Amino acid sequence: MIPTEGQLVARCRAGDAAAWNELVERFSRYVYAICSQGFRLSEHDAEDVFQDVFTRVYTHLDRLRDDDAFRPWLAQLTRRTCIDRIRSGGREAPVEELEPTDVDETLSMLDEAMTVHEAMAELPENCRDILDRFFAQDESYRTIGEALDLPPGTIASRISRCLEKLKALLEETGGPARPETR
Amino acid sequence: MSASDHDNLGRLIAALPPAPEGWTRAAQELPAARRGIDEIVAKAEADAAYRERVVADLESALAAEGIEPTPPLLDELRNRFRSV
Repeated sequence: MIPTEGQLVARCRAGDAAAWNELVERFSRYVYAICSQGFRLSEHDAEDVFQDVFTRVYTHLDRLRDDDAFRPWLAQLTRRTCIDRIRSGGREAPVEELEPTDVDETLSMLDEAMTVHEAMAELPENCRDILDRFFAQDESYRTIGEALDLPPGTIASRISRCLEKLKALLEETGGPARPETR
Repeated sequence: MSASDHDNLGRLIAALPPAPEGWTRAAQELPAARRGIDEIVAKAEADAAYRERVVADLESALAAEGIEPTPPLLDELRNRFRSV
């Protein structure tokens, strides 16, 4: 059984090292995407913000009032840290002018993407792997076929079947089963 | 399931590519890194010569303890030495 966000946070607060590893693993893509897509930071700045955010999470986890609200808290923390980084580069302006104009839209899309990835974690490993390799890691049918020892001609149909399973899972959990096109 | 559903789910999966492995690993090592910093500070409180060496080169002090000297950890160590 995959622990909920709240359970994971509670275990981290109790000093559970394995839970911390899992928390970072689960949310690293989200923080990275906010830095690189939401705020379009350079790789160097994004790396500094990424480390800074997880340092703050580690030291300030006890300030989180509701463990189940970890994701919005993390998004807000990352957003503020990105703005601080832009400011440290010498830009003095109101927050609204420092943020990209479409940042709210991007962050909302990334939040939806996290829900989809959380549902993916409930899929059988073969499905999770093939969907992640094809979409998130942009691997070709050939590369996937070689890595998973599958005939390349069967990859497309497997992806389609896994997407159907994912959609069914999202419908069960009330997630974005039919995400809007942005 | 329509092609449009496939496209939308695919787009959302693609929106979260993996963070660089080294970044994730460094963040996972934070608890150990902070324990390492505690040890450096304790050693520096007991040994003035060691303290001088650490203050002169924070990066090497962290590296010597096997800690990746990321900017937040360097800041942390710097701040801890201000109060030692």
